Amino acid sequence: MLGATVARLLEDVSLYRIFVGSRLRSQMQYRESFLVMLVLGFVGLTTEFLAIILLFNRFDTLIGWSVGEVAFLYGLASISFGMAELFGAGFDNFPETIRRAEFDRVLLRPQSAFVQVLSGDFQLRRLGRILQGTMALGFAFAWTSVAWSPQKLAYLPVVVLCGMVLYIGFFVLGATLCFWTVDSVEVANIITYGGTEFASYPLPIYHVLMQRFFTFVVPLAFVSYFPSLYLLGRPEASDWPQWLLVASPLAAAALFALVAWLAWGFGVKHYRSTGS
Amino acid sequence: MAIITVDSLRKSFWVNQRRAGFAGAVRGLVSRTGHEVVAVDDISFEIAAGEMVGYIGPNGAGKSTTIKVLTGILVPSSGQVTVAGLVPWEQRRTLAGKIGAVFGQRTQLWWDLPLIESLTLLQHVYGVPSDRFNANLSYFREILELDGFLDTPVRQLSLGQRMRGDLVAALLHEPPILYLDEPTIGLDVVARARMREVLQEINRERGVTVLLTTHDMDDISQLCQRMLIIDHGKLLYDGSVEAIRERYGMERTLVVDLDGSEEIEGPLELPGMTDVQQDGPRHWLRFRRDQASAAEAITAVTSRHRIRDLTLEEPDIEGIVRRIYEGGDRL
Repeated sequence: MLGATVARLLEDVSLYRIFVGSRLRSQMQYRESFLVMLVLGFVGLTTEFLAIILLFNRFDTLIGWSVGEVAFLYGLASISFGMAELFGAGFDNFPETIRRAEFDRVLLRPQSAFVQVLSGDFQLRRLGRILQGTMALGFAFAWTSVAWSPQKLAYLPVVVLCGMVLYIGFFVLGATLCFWTVDSVEVANIITYGGTEFASYPLPIYHVLMQRFFTFVVPLAFVSYFPSLYLLGRPEASDWPQWLLVASPLAAAALFALVAWLAWGFGVKHYRSTGS
Repeated sequence: MAIITVDSLRKSFWVNQRRAGFAGAVRGLVSRTGHEVVAVDDISFEIAAGEMVGYIGPNGAGKSTTIKVLTGILVPSSGQVTVAGLVPWEQRRTLAGKIGAVFGQRTQLWWDLPLIESLTLLQHVYGVPSDRFNANLSYFREILELDGFLDTPVRQLSLGQRMRGDLVAALLHEPPILYLDEPTIGLDVVARARMREVLQEINRERGVTVLLTTHDMDDISQLCQRMLIIDHGKLLYDGSVEAIRERYGMERTLVVDLDGSEEIEGPLELPGMTDVQQDGPRHWLRFRRDQASAAEAITAVTSRHRIRDLTLEEPDIEGIVRRIYEGGDRL
C-alpha cells in the first residue's frame, strides 16, 4: 500500500520534471524575449523595493521596525511568492485552461488532475521576483545585526517553503473557483497579490480586522510576521512561546494545503458532474 | 464480445442563469436560479470489439456528453456503463491507458512544442516502453506521412497535419478503443479521404474499436457498417448504415424557383417526384437517386415549367433526423 503510494508519487515527480523540462526548452527558443521579461520583472519589482527604502529615508523606523527588518519581511514574502509563481504557475494560469476548455484533456490522461495542472505551465521569467527578493534579503542581512545561528540559518528556508506552499494554496483555491465561475477569479487575485503586499510589512501597522483576517482566515502572518519575530530576535517575540513562533509556518502551511487540496477535489468532482 | 456497454444512461445538467457584472458573479456563487437540461436520456447500446460505429446527430443532440461519460470525464446522473470492463468515471486513470481520443476542434498536443516533442511527452504520460514507442512511431510515420512536419511546432501545422498529429497522439499507447469526435471537420477533400483510409487501416490492421461522431454522411457511409442516431438525448436509430442509406440517403431534393409569370397554387405534379414543401415560387422536389439522375429530374421539371433558379440538396444528418421525425419512424 505504502509502496504503491510512494511509487505513484515518484512517477508524479518525474512527470513534473519532464513537463517542466519541455516548457523550459520551448521558452529557450525565445531567449531574447525571456531575458527582456526577466530584466523588466526585476526592474519593476526593484522600484517597489526602492519605495520602501525611500520611506525609511523620511522615518527612521516603522512602528519600531528598522529598514533592514522590513527589508527582511519584504524579501521573505517576495521569495516565497516568487517560488509559488514559479512552481504553481499552472494553477495561477487555470482560468485560461478553463476558458479554452482544456480541462477535458487533463481528465483524459492517466495521471491525477492536480499534478497535470501543476506542471501545465512554468515561466522561468518569474525568477525575476525571486532574484529581487534575494537581493532584499541580502540588504536585510547587511543592515540588521541579527546573530544568525546555524539553527536560524537552517530554519529560514523552511519558512520560505512554507510560504510557497501557502501561496500555491491560494492559487489552487482561486483555480477551484473557476469550476463555478471564471469571473470571480479577480477576488482570488486580490487576496493573493494583496497578500504579498500585506506580508511585506509588520503586522501591527494594519487595522485589527485585517490582522485577524490574514492570521486566521488566510494565515499569511504565520509565514511572515511570526517566524520573523523569532528570526530577527524582535522584542515582540517574548510575547509568545518560542515553539509557537517556530511551529506556526509549518502548521499554517500544512493546514492550508489540506484545505486547498480538499477544495480542489470537490471542484473537480463538481466539474465531472456538470462538465462546466 | 462487447467492449463497450451502455445501459439506461442518463445525464442531466443544471444550467445556471448568468447574472451580469462582478456583483452578479458573486451572487451567482451563492444563489442558484436556472433549469435542468437532459443531455442524454435513457440511452442503451453495446459495441463489440473491433467494430467501427458512427454516432451521429444534430448539434446539441448529446453526442459529446455520451463520449465524455465513456471516457470517464463526466459522471452520469444514472445508468450503467462499462468500457473495456471498467466503469469509466470510477476507474478513470486506469481506463485512460485503454482509450485514445481525438476531438477534431481541440488538439491534445502542446501548442508551442514541435510535434515530435509532444509525442515524447505523451510517451511519458502513458508510460509507453521505448521499443513499443519507436515501433508505433515508425508505423504512423509511414501511414500518416509525418516526416515532413515532425519537427514543426504544432501551432504552425495546417489543420490536416494537426489532425494527423492528434491521431498519432491518441494511438501511441496502443489503446484498444478510439473515440473520434468530428475527425474530418474542416479538412479539405484530399485530407479527408486520407484520414478515412488511415482510420480504416487502423481498424482493420490493429483491431481498434472505433466510435466516431461526425456531421459528414460520407464519413459514415465509407467507414461504418453500423450507426447510432441520437437527437434530443434519445437514441432514434441503432442499425446498419445500409438501411438508412436505402431509406433516406437515396433521396435528393431539387429546389426550384419558378418564373414569377407562372401562377401555380399548391404542389407541382411531376412523375417520380414529390413536391414536399412550397414557399411562394420556391418548391422542394424530392426524388430518388436510383430512379432518376439529377439531369433527368431537372429535365422533368423544365419540360413542364419555366424556372429561374435551382439547387440540388444532398441528404445530410440533419435532414435524415428530420425525416425520421416527419415519418414518425422508430426504426
